[in-house]
Amino acid sequence: MWTYEKRLQFPVNIKNTNPKLAQIIIAQYGGPDGELGASLRYLSQRYSMPYPELKAILTDVGTEELAHLEMVGTIVHQLTRNLTEKQIMDGGYGAYFVNHTNGVFPCDANGTPYTAAAMQVKGDPITDIHENLAAEQKARSTYDNILRMTDDPDVLDVIRFLRAREVVHYQRFGEALRIITDHLDDRNFYAFNPSFDRPAARAVPVSVSMPEALVSTAQEGTSSFVEAAPGFNRSSV
Amino acid sequence: MTEQEALKLRLNAVHFAMLDLHLYLDTHPGDCNAASQLEECRKTSASLMEKYESAFGPLNQSQQNTSRWAWISDPWPWDM
Repeated sequence: MWTYEKRLQFPVNIKNTNPKLAQIIIAQYGGPDGELGASLRYLSQRYSMPYPELKAILTDVGTEELAHLEMVGTIVHQLTRNLTEKQIMDGGYGAYFVNHTNGVFPCDANGTPYTAAAMQVKGDPITDIHENLAAEQKARSTYDNILRMTDDPDVLDVIRFLRAREVVHYQRFGEALRIITDHLDDRNFYAFNPSFDRPAARAVPVSVSMPEALVSTAQEGTSSFVEAAPGFNRSSV
Repeated sequence: MTEQEALKLRLNAVHFAMLDLHLYLDTHPGDCNAASQLEECRKTSASLMEKYESAFGPLNQSQQNTSRWAWISDPWPWDM
């Protein structure tokens, strides 16, 4: 469960209206590399993550991304809150305005609604953490691009803060990847999926129809499914 | 900067330090130095919080705060 703190993680006080900039920055609200996708990605990956440190980092980073979502929403809101009709037309904001007025809608910079199609929950710890390392870099690049397109100090400060957090999260996920591989055999990290190929996930119950030879290995505590996994070498366990 | 703003800024900074240490400790649960830094930050936060709330009213960040009016009152964070 979650509770709400009635404050932003980093203060946002933007004085100048700028609909053009709002339309660019909304990419980090509902776009493919945005904070909504980041949060959903990490919070959804938790269920199939077998190691306690990893469950913690996915929960805590996923939660921080929600705080960032709120900050990006605040930037968009404050850049558009005092819009005049002239500014809407001059700022190329007409298409967004006709759909959402000055509401903050989760979409990318083109106005395409948020989609989970831009993220993955693979259910394989190594794959999911690589997904997250890439996601942090994609968000960092997006913030770099936003920094190129504005010189408003009220906006720059906040975007720089968010960019720095992507770098910290990347570091934490790098450590998380190391924690996963520390649990695995360094001769073949990919021998099996530690989230799925374990005794509890055995494909066929031992008592039903397992050949004599596999029953004995299963009773040693090794999953019969693991025996059959591609690339699996019995001698490397 | 008013005294209230200055106090709030310090609180924000301490809370940020706590979050960052908390994330670090997720992947380094055995780091006693970081854990004691987090403990120091907790103490600083508690004393700053007490100072702020006694002078300027509840911050709506604690479970103990039961003032319904303070919770619903403007400004909300995005309206600052």
